[in-house]
Amino acid sequence: MNPEQILSSFKESLGEKVLDDRTVERKVGTVAPKSVYDLWLTVDRSDLHDAVAYLCAEYNPHLTVISGDDLGDDVAFNYHFTTGWGERYGEATLTIRTVVPKNDFRLPTICDLLPGAQTSEREKHEFFGLEVEGIPDDRNLFLPEDMTIHPWRKDLQAETDKQVKRLVKWEERDE
Amino acid sequence: MNNRSIDLEVGGSTACYSVPVGPVHPALKEPIRFQFELDGERIVGVDIKPGFVHRGIEYMGMRRNLIQTLYLAERICGICSISHPLAFTQAVENAAGIEVPPRAQYIRTIIGELERIHSHLLWAGIGAHELGFDTLLHLVWKVREKAMDLLEQLTGNRVDYAIPIFGGVRRDIPKEKAPLAYEALDYYKRLLQDLIDAFLHDKSVEMRTRNIGVMTYDQAVALCAVGPTTRASGVKKDVRVDMPYLAYADMDLHAITPEDYGTEPIGDVFDNIIVRLLEVGQAIEIIEFCLENLPEGELTSIPKVPALLAALKKASGEGIGRHEAPRGEVFHYVRLEEDVEEMAVWKVRAPTYGNLIGWVPKFLGDEVADIPIVAASIDPCMCCMDRVHLVDGVGAESVKTKTELVRLSREKTRRICG
Repeated sequence: MNPEQILSSFKESLGEKVLDDRTVERKVGTVAPKSVYDLWLTVDRSDLHDAVAYLCAEYNPHLTVISGDDLGDDVAFNYHFTTGWGERYGEATLTIRTVVPKNDFRLPTICDLLPGAQTSEREKHEFFGLEVEGIPDDRNLFLPEDMTIHPWRKDLQAETDKQVKRLVKWEERDE
Repeated sequence: MNNRSIDLEVGGSTACYSVPVGPVHPALKEPIRFQFELDGERIVGVDIKPGFVHRGIEYMGMRRNLIQTLYLAERICGICSISHPLAFTQAVENAAGIEVPPRAQYIRTIIGELERIHSHLLWAGIGAHELGFDTLLHLVWKVREKAMDLLEQLTGNRVDYAIPIFGGVRRDIPKEKAPLAYEALDYYKRLLQDLIDAFLHDKSVEMRTRNIGVMTYDQAVALCAVGPTTRASGVKKDVRVDMPYLAYADMDLHAITPEDYGTEPIGDVFDNIIVRLLEVGQAIEIIEFCLENLPEGELTSIPKVPALLAALKKASGEGIGRHEAPRGEVFHYVRLEEDVEEMAVWKVRAPTYGNLIGWVPKFLGDEVADIPIVAASIDPCMCCMDRVHLVDGVGAESVKTKTELVRLSREKTRRICG
């Protein structure tokens, strides 16, 4: 599948909803180099569910993971998909990026479209404090159940650092 | 596939027992807790709680320079100790636009595939042990030592090989080491058929694993499973094939499914064994290809570490690095900012993370006695922060500090000593 087609079909179908897009071409192979592609799309958070629904309907995607990027007043979430697997050189990565303001920290779930997204959504809920609307299960996954700090939020670092430093202090005391 | 809704619940159950298995485990050497809902012997529900060894490596990595973080990445997992650095270096190289010389790409591939051989054999041994077939466990782990010895001879270490660095590799595989590698590969070629016979032509192995721990094709796709776990269900998904990188781009490869063994994929534990054993054979072929075609040339594009650090500090951008580890796709996402030594973002996705939710359909409908082998079937590897959960007699859960734990353990020792 031609990656240019994926992006242009996205823009045709979603129109103005695609705020930004770029294609990164990389050469792989040492004898006869071939191209592989990383695709990046940005959508508004209100259009995230539509964008993923379109992807699921047309391109049979695999969600690798959702990464979070604390930008200060906002957090950008990158939904890292891959599509086109099963064919030699057929796969491209497709990252859908959406920015969420911290004062209204909500995103819709995509578990209804891809049940495999649950692990990653629960992780973003506990590590960033993101409210994932409609998530089937919002308990802490990797962190202890009674832990309320969100370690990857830079504005809440003081609380996290306190715990990290205390841990090191205990180590010292034990010497 | 149109219908993506996969029913993870079993309706109308009359569950009367709730049985916790773990965190300290009969099946696995690493801690994870399964809370099973049982109807007699049949599993009708399962809740999975990982995180008992969550070490906050991503948090630490974002507070160190990239070379220090490379050492951390190597220590995310003791078995995948080349897979995480391979994905991480590729992510940083893609973000910073650093080229990797051909010889380095081949050396990375050779070590990566040797790791696949030893990891799959490690799993096969554990699989045999979970089935109660300890003779086979000892045989497989004896055979595995050859790969460990070769890794030590090539890199100096049995684990944590410290081979990749941004822009290349740290150690060469000189010509005089090649005979050692060929000898080990011949050893495995001779033995592989015996191993396949021992596992796949054994009536008791088949009875314990056929139609047990099933994940269907549709479930594997919808639950975003990866690696041999998804390929056992017939999903032809393998990063080395679909989006080649390193030396995999120069060779002809295909994703191994049970069809290569001549059977229809069911996605049960037996199919998991088929896929992993056949992949050992595939890894031998890949290493042979790499040794025969090993290009001459530089080992790294930026040999001096201060120059490398300076180049990394100047770089900005984001990059994705992927590697098909023995357990499935390892994924690293990195964002670099100019004039900052640390990464702005580092996200690591280990294969077990991807396969976590895939455990649910595998367990449902099976019996209590199958729990260990089904738990082991995805070849789990819990990489995760340093704290301890304590569940007291009435089920309340609390987190104990190290000091408290030391005090408690000393109290217990005194109590035992009278």
